[in-house]
Amino acid sequence: MVFTTKMVCNSVLRQAVKQMFLVEHLVKQQSYGQLRAGSYLSDLITQRFYSTKKVFNRDKPHCNVGTIGHVDHGKTTLTAAITKVLSEMELAKAKQYAEIDNAPEEKARGITINVAHVEYQTNNRHYGHTDCPGHADYIKNMITGTAQMDGAILVVAATDGSMPQTREHLLLAKQIGISHIVIFINKVDVADDEMIDLVEMEMRELLTQMGYDGENIPIVKGSALCALDGSKPEIGRDAILKLLEAVDSYIPTPIRELDKPFCLPIENVYSVMGRGTVVSGRLERGKIKKGMECELIGYNKLIKTTITGIEMFHKTLEEAEAGDQMGALLRGLKREDIRRGMIMCKPGSMKAYDHLECQIYMLTTEEGGRTRPINNMMNGQMFSKTWDCQAQINLEGKDLVMPGEDTTIVLKLIRPMVCEKGQRFTIRDSFKTIATGVVANTLPSLSETERLELIEGKKKLKKRLAQA
Amino acid sequence: MLSRQFFRSIHTNHVLCYTSKKTLLSKLRKKTGYTFINCKKALELNENDVEKAEQWLKEQAQAQGWSQAMKLKSRETSQGLIAMITNSNHGALVEINCETDFVARNKKFHDLAQIILDTVLKHSMTIEQDSLVKKTVLSTELINNLHANDGKNLSDHSALTIGLIGENISIRRALCMSVQPGAYLYGCTHPTPVNPVPSSFGRYGALVALKCDDDKKVLGMQLCQHIIGMNPIKVGDPKVDLPNDNIEEEPVMLYQEFLFNPASSIQELLQSEQAEVLDFVKYVQLLHFFITHELPQRSYNG
Repeated sequence: MVFTTKMVCNSVLRQAVKQMFLVEHLVKQQSYGQLRAGSYLSDLITQRFYSTKKVFNRDKPHCNVGTIGHVDHGKTTLTAAITKVLSEMELAKAKQYAEIDNAPEEKARGITINVAHVEYQTNNRHYGHTDCPGHADYIKNMITGTAQMDGAILVVAATDGSMPQTREHLLLAKQIGISHIVIFINKVDVADDEMIDLVEMEMRELLTQMGYDGENIPIVKGSALCALDGSKPEIGRDAILKLLEAVDSYIPTPIRELDKPFCLPIENVYSVMGRGTVVSGRLERGKIKKGMECELIGYNKLIKTTITGIEMFHKTLEEAEAGDQMGALLRGLKREDIRRGMIMCKPGSMKAYDHLECQIYMLTTEEGGRTRPINNMMNGQMFSKTWDCQAQINLEGKDLVMPGEDTTIVLKLIRPMVCEKGQRFTIRDSFKTIATGVVANTLPSLSETERLELIEGKKKLKKRLAQA
Repeated sequence: MLSRQFFRSIHTNHVLCYTSKKTLLSKLRKKTGYTFINCKKALELNENDVEKAEQWLKEQAQAQGWSQAMKLKSRETSQGLIAMITNSNHGALVEINCETDFVARNKKFHDLAQIILDTVLKHSMTIEQDSLVKKTVLSTELINNLHANDGKNLSDHSALTIGLIGENISIRRALCMSVQPGAYLYGCTHPTPVNPVPSSFGRYGALVALKCDDDKKVLGMQLCQHIIGMNPIKVGDPKVDLPNDNIEEEPVMLYQEFLFNPASSIQELLQSEQAEVLDFVKYVQLLHFFITHELPQRSYNG
């Protein structure tokens, strides 16, 4: 108290104290950073004076996993337990049950998603962990690309066994292309061995029925609650570690964009006096080296040539990596040969298609979509990579798609454009973005008559059918 | 020979006994679908007699369901489906809610929906008809107390399903619509089943009453889909209502563009078909993010 009064009264002293604190602050920050670097995780280093934000270090491969299962079987408890067990090994930040359960509704890319996102790492990999509440949410995330899962942990309580809706959970996993599932049999602290064995048998049977490799899928038994309490380590902590080991070894690491064949969607084309034609854009994936062969595809063209030079920020470089905004000098091409929307890629790695099977999510009015539904044979402008193209939406087995729904459609493009499985796109009408989607499959090209019908449009087709 | 058999049975007795108990539990579980813990309890209480145990389970199911239902009562049911049923001149729309949409896709939940639909339709046939079209909204209390064909009331049926599925389920609202000869009743849900069926489930549902000389199934279905898609507020009366300046925001059905042929309005369509829309109803199962919109929102930039 005395100290404070003095400080307030004496301005010189106050200044001195202030400085002292400031200096101390700096010192504290520096040593804090060192301390962190020395003792804590290898991935949280680099200290800045203006913020104490951690820097993400990618020395471990990344993998996305998610939990699926019945609401009462302990998905959230398991997630909390994983973070707790790993935080003891300083590999994660422990999260409370409530923190995960009350995940804020995020609005990413203008589309509402509702997921809890937790990160942690094992000795081998770094994980992003999602926990979505429903089927529609998962599908929406898959289509919009906000959260992808490379593998899943199916949680089932030993006391209940599989529920009627477990079938639906597995159907969903199938639909979004998850081929690797690890099972966690939870709540073994309140079940006996016989029941646990039967649940395991039942799960293997169900998984085989649903087209998974039921015999060999890793099944871990434990109690997330015990792990969270810190009691009974043999079914608590150890089970969680065993589960993570199974996840580590069973779910394969996704191929990084860097290791895929290169692909550069062309944004601009320039002709540089005395040198030739340069295309520019952001290298989406792979690596480009000087002297590599390449293919330019799009607008009914396929041109083969060689990359004779790479440039970034007006400086030449030997090799460009995925993510670089770069220019590539091409041999023997005129500026008119190429245009924005074409793709430069490794020869033979990509193709142009005009007939696609896609999964789309139709935006709600709140998300900027329109109020009216999509009906069959509607036309829209499809935007993907740097190109756009008129396309016709063909619904299968239904007449309407309402805003907020997801569905499978067939798109017919008026000209072939570069597409591949997993490519994302949006569809707009003349005013608004109607839908966002992902290519599920490429279909055989349209025949000449089909293309003519497509260009003719729906009204004329109807008229002709009426006349016939 | 005899002695050999005798010895063999003794020799394997322990293993046999163990496996038989195991298979009993799995047999009972497979047969009834009740949770492992309950199946085990049933076997214990009935000294491993599968048939008795099964009977015990069935007797317990109702009580179990009710206790589960009481336990889960407070949990929010934001998912679910709209179910629709029509017969020649009666129809019903019901909204049933559950916690996750996985359950809304499950067969057991659909079975419950079918029971509810049949019961509500049966009830609608008992309502006295005093006009060409009659629309009756049922209170939740009334719906829950309606008796299904097997004599149990609907709240018993939902409790049974709650016990089986382990999620809270509630019947949110229901409505009956009846017409007298001279008018026809059509209904559909969205997503619409490919083949017309008397009852279907979806996220949207509509019933429409048409006054026309003969049965116009295709027009009826298309009008239902129009109502689902274009969201009109009322049928409208050309003598009273004026068309909106902006056709995109037209709330009166008669002036709206027909969903399947935007070149003509509903009014023109009905004139050419010589039909008149007497009344319609529409139910929407709110998507969960619509519901969360009502909760306090975080600020959102973008």
